[in-house]
Amino acid sequence: MNRPEISRPEISGAERSQSGGLGDGENHEWPKPSLFARLRREPLLPEAGAGGAPLTAVIAVISFLAVLAMASVLVINQSASKWTSELRSEITVQIKGADAAEIAAGASAALRVLEGTDGVIEATLQGEAETVALLEPWLGRGNVQAFLNIPALIEVKVTPALRGDLDLLHNRLAAAVPGATLDDHAVWHNRLATAARSGQALAFAVFLLVMAAACAISIFAARAGLAANHDIVSVLHLVGATDDFIAAEVQRRFFILGFRGAAAGLAAALIALALAAAAFRTGVGADAFLPQFSVGGWLILWLFAVPVVTCLVTALTARLTVLKTLRQQY
Amino acid sequence: MAANGLIIDFENAGLAYGDAPETLSDVTLQLREGEFRFLTGPSGAGKTSLLKMMYLAHRPTRGRFSLFGEDASNAPREALPPLRRRIGVVFQEFRLLDHLTAFENVALPMKVAGINQNQYREDVSELLNWVGLGHRMGAKPPTLSGGEQQRVALARALVSKPDLILADEPTGNVDPAMSERIMKLFVELNKLGAAVIVATHNLRLVQTLGKPVLRISDGRVSRAPGAGGAL
Repeated sequence: MNRPEISRPEISGAERSQSGGLGDGENHEWPKPSLFARLRREPLLPEAGAGGAPLTAVIAVISFLAVLAMASVLVINQSASKWTSELRSEITVQIKGADAAEIAAGASAALRVLEGTDGVIEATLQGEAETVALLEPWLGRGNVQAFLNIPALIEVKVTPALRGDLDLLHNRLAAAVPGATLDDHAVWHNRLATAARSGQALAFAVFLLVMAAACAISIFAARAGLAANHDIVSVLHLVGATDDFIAAEVQRRFFILGFRGAAAGLAAALIALALAAAAFRTGVGADAFLPQFSVGGWLILWLFAVPVVTCLVTALTARLTVLKTLRQQY
Repeated sequence: MAANGLIIDFENAGLAYGDAPETLSDVTLQLREGEFRFLTGPSGAGKTSLLKMMYLAHRPTRGRFSLFGEDASNAPREALPPLRRRIGVVFQEFRLLDHLTAFENVALPMKVAGINQNQYREDVSELLNWVGLGHRMGAKPPTLSGGEQQRVALARALVSKPDLILADEPTGNVDPAMSERIMKLFVELNKLGAAVIVATHNLRLVQTLGKPVLRISDGRVSRAPGAGGAL
């Protein structure tokens, strides 16, 4: 202890021994703490006072929801990127005609134009059966060939440079094949991008709301903990503890509770996501109309960051709440 | 700081709880380094309130109060913990933490001061042996008798080698023989340099030890007739 102002001799062991004290002369020693005991160290605030098991359970639920919300953000982003990049690298040339022969001639001419154009990576004429299969969901099985001259469809993979300026190709196709139209999928792409952005924003808003709920729960639990431990906090103050010391004790307690809850929430969320991914592969995603998603790689790393953030938010909120409450009440 | 040797210096201090009339009025008293005072008076006279002001649980609602030469009446909140660490308090109701062992309770002032257990382990063990509780270091307060809890509280008050020891009825829960030993202990600690104030109803012990007495009655402090020392 640093006490420069009053030069009083310290009460040394020898002096205590001379005084006789209140004991019977027997000497006992407190055992040296093991490494495990030092790491574990007894909290100065009892566990029950900081919310204990109920708080851990609430944080587990919050963490579960936060991981699912963040997974939604990432999966939507992953799927939208995949979808839009596919759409942006492909265009479709459609050849209409009065009869099948005219359509076939137009398709051959269009293929020649495409093969002679810089930036065209691959041009594939769809077979009639494939085109019919695309129309059948809207017109009904067996109706397509009865009512329509099926137009020819050419799927064209293009370089980004050509994708950026399709006017020249459009003009050349129009000159070579009067019935040809060129679809750059811009309408689909824009709608998809808007839908993806909206979905991501919604999922991120849910994530932020869940974090706000974590803050609210921490504030409530920290205040309740302080009220329940009023006497202990008072004793800590009277033996010289600073507000920061008490706040650090509470923060440590909440970090441990938050870690347990967040880890449980993450584990449950990963199981739920794995089941969802499996169901998607064999269900709606099986027809390949929607892109596949999986729980792995970077996605997992991002998801592991969520409980860490939940933990930190919980602990820091508790610390700030304690500091504010101590200054107001004590 | 404390250049004049004053540890406690009240000047016309008063203490009121909320809007109630003052519990303590016009308190003017000084305590210097190495002084020992008893504080006596009937129950409800304000002994505990006066001690609470001394150990900074409350601050005067009027007047001036300096502790170790620092103006404690108006000191910012952050300035109080270092002052409190220089005071050892034996509370009337012990105020031990039930979820901690006797050892951990005694070590509390060291822990909050940020001292490593390796540095205080021997001191705390020695102090618990000194108060006769070496064999109960791992016991938690609810399993200790009133007298044992009293001695743990005493050890906690002394562990940080305080400059000022304040004791509120420290013999209230022990037998007459132990009361006498505890009082003699305070006298010995006082001889080693700590200023001591002991609030007590035990007038027999007060007379036996022959130390100056402050009497408190109806919230006013006076020097007891025939007792030595300055108010």
